[in-house]
Amino acid sequence: MSWFADLLGPFRGFAVTLRQVTRPRVTIKYPDEKRVKPDRFHGRHVLNRNLDGTEKCIGCELCAGVCPAKCIYVRGADNPPDNPVSEGERYGFVYEINMLRCIFCALCVEACPTEAITMTHLFEMSTTNRDDAIYTKDDLLVEPDGTPNHPQPDSKLIDLNELKIGDGWMRATSPSGRAAYAGVVQWTPSARTGALPAERGQSGQVNDEDSGEETDG
Amino acid sequence: MAEHGTVSIIINGVEHDVPEGERLITAAERVGEYIPRFCHHDKLAPVGKCRMCLVEVEGPRGSALTTSCTVPVTDGMVVHTETDVVKKAQEGILEFLLLNHPLDCSVCDKGGECPLQDQALAFGAGESRFIEEKRTFTKPIPVSELVLLDRERCVVCDRCVRVADDIAGDPLLEFIDRGSYVQINTFPNEPFSSYFSGNTVQVCPVGALTSVDYRFKARPWDLESVRSVSLVDSVQSSVDVHTSRGKILRVYGAENDAVNEGWLSDKDRFIFSAFRSPDRITTPLVRDGDGFKETSWSEAVELVAMRLGGHVGTEVGAIGGANGTNEEAFALAKFMRTVVGSPHIDAQLGDGLDPHLASSITARGTISDLDAASTILVWGPDLKETLPVLYLRVRKAVRNGAALVVVSPYSTGLDSIATHSLRYRAGSGPEILRKLAHGDAGYEAVTETLANGPVVALVGRSSITENPMLAEAVAAFARSLPHAKLLPLLTRANVFGALDMGLAPTLLPGRVSTGDAAGVSLLEDSWGPLPESAGKDTMAMLEALIDRDLVAVILAGADPIRDCPDPAVAESALDAAEFVVAFDAFMTDSTRKAHVVLPAALWGEVDGTVTNLEGRVQRLRRSVQPRGMSISVSAALDDIARAMGAELGAADWQLINKEIAAVAPAYAGMTADYLTFEAGEEGAVVPIPGATQPLGHIPVEVNVPVVTGRFTLHLAPALYDAGVLVRNSHMLEGFADPGVVRMHPRDAASLAVADGDLIDAEGVGLPVKIDPEVPERSVVITRNLDTTRGIAASADIRVETVRGEP
Ligand code: SF4
Ligand code: SF4
Ligand code: SF4
Ligand code: FES
Repeated sequence: MSWFADLLGPFRGFAVTLRQVTRPRVTIKYPDEKRVKPDRFHGRHVLNRNLDGTEKCIGCELCAGVCPAKCIYVRGADNPPDNPVSEGERYGFVYEINMLRCIFCALCVEACPTEAITMTHLFEMSTTNRDDAIYTKDDLLVEPDGTPNHPQPDSKLIDLNELKIGDGWMRATSPSGRAAYAGVVQWTPSARTGALPAERGQSGQVNDEDSGEETDG
Repeated sequence: MAEHGTVSIIINGVEHDVPEGERLITAAERVGEYIPRFCHHDKLAPVGKCRMCLVEVEGPRGSALTTSCTVPVTDGMVVHTETDVVKKAQEGILEFLLLNHPLDCSVCDKGGECPLQDQALAFGAGESRFIEEKRTFTKPIPVSELVLLDRERCVVCDRCVRVADDIAGDPLLEFIDRGSYVQINTFPNEPFSSYFSGNTVQVCPVGALTSVDYRFKARPWDLESVRSVSLVDSVQSSVDVHTSRGKILRVYGAENDAVNEGWLSDKDRFIFSAFRSPDRITTPLVRDGDGFKETSWSEAVELVAMRLGGHVGTEVGAIGGANGTNEEAFALAKFMRTVVGSPHIDAQLGDGLDPHLASSITARGTISDLDAASTILVWGPDLKETLPVLYLRVRKAVRNGAALVVVSPYSTGLDSIATHSLRYRAGSGPEILRKLAHGDAGYEAVTETLANGPVVALVGRSSITENPMLAEAVAAFARSLPHAKLLPLLTRANVFGALDMGLAPTLLPGRVSTGDAAGVSLLEDSWGPLPESAGKDTMAMLEALIDRDLVAVILAGADPIRDCPDPAVAESALDAAEFVVAFDAFMTDSTRKAHVVLPAALWGEVDGTVTNLEGRVQRLRRSVQPRGMSISVSAALDDIARAMGAELGAADWQLINKEIAAVAPAYAGMTADYLTFEAGEEGAVVPIPGATQPLGHIPVEVNVPVVTGRFTLHLAPALYDAGVLVRNSHMLEGFADPGVVRMHPRDAASLAVADGDLIDAEGVGLPVKIDPEVPERSVVITRNLDTTRGIAASADIRVETVRGEP
């Protein structure tokens, strides 16, 4: 009988192959086709804007300070009051990330007080030289209407739509603001990308004039 | 029982011995128990304003919360700093402070180095219950041209007010309004124009006061800090130089109780902006017709070596060296005396004192001697204008009870706190000295004050127009006072270091007189034969250049046309010179006449040691790279020497530093290693134990002639003048006075001029300012302003009304 079994061997082997023929394919034709990434995927950064077109980044350098790879370089400058760049007193006039060093940990996203920097689902960043891997503010900042930028927008690999998808969730302590949660790590829905509404602020009333009257009364 | 001078206290159950009378907060910190604080500052009087430092102190009626910054320790005191009651108090105080404090740490310059942030994290409740609106003020408002104020960030700690009132004596900041709206502000139409305004930025525990220049330039985690010395004046305050990416971004005062106690003048603090001036010389320049053309170092060095080598040594002179390090000064002294073979070297420009008096006076005091003085005599330049940090130290001594006698030809910053302030007509100093020495009628009260020792006498030339021998006579008088210590005053940055390195015609390195045969032969053992003829000082060198006795001159950071008493002489001397080589960072009136200009590194850009007015040596550290192709004067001289076929051994500052310690007797053992490992950041006064100072100058009574003439001249120095660094610092330029001729009302009447009238002062037209502070028959003009720099510093002056005025 053994000769018969030997004869059937190749067909047994093909059985695996034949079974797969009927199953759905898992390979895709990258880069023509792309997979949908998980919600919390950490891809390339974008710098967001406010709805009025000003930049969200206030040049505070907290992202640069927290970055474990020390790959962010930010410098602030006085925000010109007549033609403000950001909503704050200062704006980030230099903003660079060295993507060769970045470890995509999203600590910068977590540190940012203004949701200026967020991460997206685009991960294609290969370049043919080191200089191009340093993303400048022009590359990172979205257009006033929220359209993202990319240094090689025409590259076959790049799907700009992926730059419009935020990374979903970020780590935070006590996002509810309740004392009971102080120090407890939780996850908070992360910022979207593009042109975003501002957080609730103060009424904008200035108390200079109040002083004096208040004390006289 | 604790030993004498200390008391025993119990903090959190542990017994400690601490100095008697110390404030509890300081005593606790000394033994390792940090108590949070905002208003407390070691150098300021306690006010107990912020309540952050509450601790429980046990008393006869149980324990009570007490502000630890206001209570002195007493024997047997029992203190708790970590009980629930204390914690609750701390959380409460922080919550109160944060009610009105905005959450704008991310745009605040203090964020990252902020005591409020740190203490809110360490001692706060963690979460806020506050959801209402916070107060808002228009921001920022400038309180001066150097300082901005964000009122809503203020935690009302009173530190800035105390710095301005008590330390600087400029009571220009005050709290206004009450309750939630309390705010720091200046008086209407009176900006906080103080020479010390930058200190408020440094002491403010929040970001309420920030520096205009540093605003938004960087964040604390970008900064690298280098401990160094401010080479702005001869006090040489200790500083922390903060740099980022190769640029100096700010300068903070460093705690050095022997020198500046953490305070700085605004000139110390902001002068660094000149370092990055676009007008810096960054390449070697050689004369090309009327202008200059850029060249390479090697060509410039060849040229200088050839031109200097082409003259007999004694035909060459060197002026300057007082703005660099000791190492640079030493290299210049050695270069002149050995490679060139010339004794004509002078770090002063006819505006200083006898080098023996300045460098080697006996009974020389230290800055901290002022703290223990019963009486302080100031007879010299206006301290506030020339040595502002020393002015603060004198103020402190007076605040603590010392009597102060100020003698001056014009009002000085110290007059308002002086016990006796004597005014003399410029040029008649010897007269008043004689009266003081003899206790003439009318001077009994002063002599009585001066008889109360220990006395510290600060002696210098009140202005460049004063006879330098008067300082010798004053020093001789001061020396006769009880337990007198003397501090000779020269103001240029490292002039004392330069003199100690032998940059004077009558001095050799290490406080050796050129007349000291033993000292000379000791130096000759290592340097080879020294030039035999006597050296000329700057004025003699300039005359000699005109007379062609000298033909070449080296200017090491010196601008004789601006700084020497007679600009006209300096100008013709440099015109007459066959060869002038200038080491400088900026083009000056004098460098424009040079044949070769070599770019010199400034003090933030070089390493070395420096010596201040009490003889204290400190380490000056490089914090940034020299601009362009600038290098230190010593490194350039080393190259030039090699091109002349000689070895100077000055390629590296450490080599020079070792040679100084080996050949300069008063500096024996004073190496960089000694400073780093033995003396520490305070530095050490030379000679250190084990070293001896060969020259001990005993001031002698000299007969100084009284100046006669219709008008005598006092060319008053000013902190902000048209000096090269101030001129090139975008922070400080423009602060200088416009320049006026001050005169007594009666003199103005006799000349029939009124305030603002143009007057002809020795050929220079200036407006008159009637000022009763000026003694009669004398005029006061601020020195080295753009408008006044042409005026020769002669003792008397011709003043005439301008004819033909409508
Ligand atoms: S993702 Fe992480 S490594 Fe990359 S820039 Fe942000 S903080 Fe730095
Ligand atoms: S991206 Fe955010 S954290 Fe970074 S500098 Fe801008 S505002 Fe600050
Ligand atoms: S401005 Fe600063 S130093 Fe002055 S009182 Fe307010 S918090 Fe204190
Ligand atoms: S530190 Fe004691 S009350 Fe402010």
